[in-house]
Amino acid sequence: MYKGREGQWAFVLHRISGVALALYLLLHVLDISLVMYGPRVFNAFLGFYHQWPFRIGLILVMAAVVYHAFNGLRIILMDFTEWGTRYHRSLWYGVLAITTAVGIPILIKVVPEILRGA
Amino acid sequence: MAVQPKTLKEAKAVYSTNPELAWWVFMRVSGLLLVFLVFGHVYMNNIAINVAEVDYAYVAERISKPWVKVYDSFLLVFAMLHGMNGLRYSIEDYTHHPGKRFWLKVLLFTVAGIMLVIGVITLWAFSFEEMGDAIRALPEL
Repeated sequence: MYKGREGQWAFVLHRISGVALALYLLLHVLDISLVMYGPRVFNAFLGFYHQWPFRIGLILVMAAVVYHAFNGLRIILMDFTEWGTRYHRSLWYGVLAITTAVGIPILIKVVPEILRGA
Repeated sequence: MAVQPKTLKEAKAVYSTNPELAWWVFMRVSGLLLVFLVFGHVYMNNIAINVAEVDYAYVAERISKPWVKVYDSFLLVFAMLHGMNGLRYSIEDYTHHPGKRFWLKVLLFTVAGIMLVIGVITLWAFSFEEMGDAIRALPEL
């Protein structure tokens, strides 16, 4: 399953997206906790956070979420059904298709917001 | 953890200790729950609104709602446990020196524990309800 073909790429992407999401989670809990410092500090911080490099970062976070979620469902199917491992390659192409299908509307919604500089 | 077992039967055979088997099952159960929790969270805060509109008033008002406290608590605990166990798998896959492995895990669990406590404090121990109206009445800076 892992010999440099689809299964290995599925694993590599799952690992990279998972590590990235776990590190983002730690950062995200910390940044939202700054709300406890009140409006002056928190709004100043958010002004910094809403700049375009961070918004592109958020697009990458959302891409990681969508891939990791659907590939995770693929792993569950492989682990708990009789037929999952037999169709793991087709399932992975399905994961890529769904990730693209969910990702494009998100890009259509978010990219113009960033370009407007909102 | 070089090779992940691929079926429940394999997992039972491979993991000699019950905690490892429990984590294997937990990753699948929490993963399934997180699909719904995280998609809902991203939809509410990134898709339904422009995330650039998020400010103090938005976050304070959100966190003051009881259902958000409960929703975000489940999200926080499941995501933290799922994410930190995933990082633990990664540390065990890529670091082989026992001392380095040990201290990386100590660092990971310390940071994760602190973040979990900070998250719980933000959600439950801070009364945005009492401050909300007074703070929203303040002029913009």
